[in-house]
Amino acid sequence: MKTSHIITPLFTGALALALALALAACQTPKPAATADAAPKSAAPLADARPEKSGNQLWAENCTRCHNNRSPAAYSDAQWEVAMHHMRIRANLTAEEHTKILEFLQSAN
Amino acid sequence: MPNHHRLCLVTASLLLAGSTSLYSQTDKPPGDKYVSREEHEKLKAELNTLKAQMAELVNATAAATKRPSAEGKTVVRTAESESGIDELREEVAKIKQTAERSKPGTTNFLLTGYGFGGFEDRPGESGKFTAGLSPILLWHINDRLFFESELELGLAAEETEVHLEYANLSYLVNGYITAKVGKFLTPFGTFADRYHAAWINKLPDQPLAVGEDGIAPFSQVGAQLSGGFRLGPMKLNYALYAVNGPRLVTDGEPAEMGRLMFDSNFTDTNSRAYGGRIGILPIPELELGYSLQYVTGPANARLHAVDFGYTREFDAIKGKLDVRGQWVWSDAGRFRFVPEAEGDEAAPPPITFNNRRNGGYAQIAYRPTKATNDFLRRFEIVGRWDRLNQPTGFRLAADEEQWTVGLNYWLGDSTVLKGAYEFIHRSGGESGNFNGNALIFQAAMGF
Repeated sequence: MKTSHIITPLFTGALALALALALAACQTPKPAATADAAPKSAAPLADARPEKSGNQLWAENCTRCHNNRSPAAYSDAQWEVAMHHMRIRANLTAEEHTKILEFLQSAN
Repeated sequence: MPNHHRLCLVTASLLLAGSTSLYSQTDKPPGDKYVSREEHEKLKAELNTLKAQMAELVNATAAATKRPSAEGKTVVRTAESESGIDELREEVAKIKQTAERSKPGTTNFLLTGYGFGGFEDRPGESGKFTAGLSPILLWHINDRLFFESELELGLAAEETEVHLEYANLSYLVNGYITAKVGKFLTPFGTFADRYHAAWINKLPDQPLAVGEDGIAPFSQVGAQLSGGFRLGPMKLNYALYAVNGPRLVTDGEPAEMGRLMFDSNFTDTNSRAYGGRIGILPIPELELGYSLQYVTGPANARLHAVDFGYTREFDAIKGKLDVRGQWVWSDAGRFRFVPEAEGDEAAPPPITFNNRRNGGYAQIAYRPTKATNDFLRRFEIVGRWDRLNQPTGFRLAADEEQWTVGLNYWLGDSTVLKGAYEFIHRSGGESGNFNGNALIFQAAMGF
């Protein structure tokens, strides 16, 4: 096993992780996103609220993998199918799934 | 002078004086009581114009407020009746929508997927155009049962290849557990499960170690439990699965000896694999994951991986930063490779080596999502480093390292034009050390 080729990626990964955590620690609280606003990141841990809106959950969960699709991309019925697929793919909780679906169906 | 001549002269003089006087009166400047003929004509023309405009206005107003009814009668509509009609229209639209949703078989199926076309010029190969289509079929049977499937149609040299990426039935046991059976994208790391789609992958090709031709599992056949739940302010997600095990390469290309091939759906060797992944999200933007897979049977291997992902918009850089990566370790014990004799030459001696491989990638992308210029907002720059390390002591397979820089232009939320340049370095292997570059373009669309 080439130890140098383990250390290098581990070091790189650790640096990236440290950078990410440092960036996360430096983030400032942001106002809650509205249904009309562009997707924004959620408030940091210190400001985490137990109840998040569907818009906020949509912005947080979907943007981790891909660009957020406009709510107008699908009809209510299509969003029901698409969101079930995304719930399974992204391991969303039932609450997250329900709130995001309601937001998409109200904003399309 | 006779008298009648004198009389005529006086009469003519009187007449002349009278007409002169009359003429001078018509040229007299207007006073308080009189206007000139010119002014009179001017005023008369203006009055006629006003009359015509008034008539036009009256006609237009009458036409705007009168509508013929269905029976051909003209009906005058007021503001109140307009408002009532609008409300009725909204109600009818809602009723129609409800009726549509209630129809059996009209709302449960959704065809999505993605496609791409591109061009790649790689070292040692002639430049070629490429294309592919991956339709995804989704069937929402009811609130608990769901079927999903993805086909992958790609191009080989002489034919079209059809590959079943996944096809599985899932059941929502409760808010935190989903049971799944069939072929599914293996929850080992995150690239296969989440990032491999052409419109999601920010570069035109896949990382060496974790792509479909890598050393990590991609999609396997079996059963799985998965879900997510909150743990205080954090969120956790998990997956546990049992699948048909991979195939161990024991013949064919020397460079492939000892590799675990996860593209085989099942083998005859009763090989099984058991594994899982846990992901932790201490904050919504950051996810850290650990994956493990244990393979029984002839392969008898252990694989594990770490992965991370961080995505956030920053005002300071006026855009979104996306950092992700994954590293995989594969240990399939010791492997003994017996080369075959070529021609009249004696066969080389057997090679025994620790069948361990590792590799992964780290990627960073920046998009100026907060720029004021819409054209700039659509650009995205991407950088990726990836590496694949072959077993120590097995020099027939080359270690490979790539540095890739890419520039994307997003035409829409899920439509992107990508261009990437790769710096490739290979060491070892049958061909020896190699340095080369690749140029790749791709247009990808998710639908």
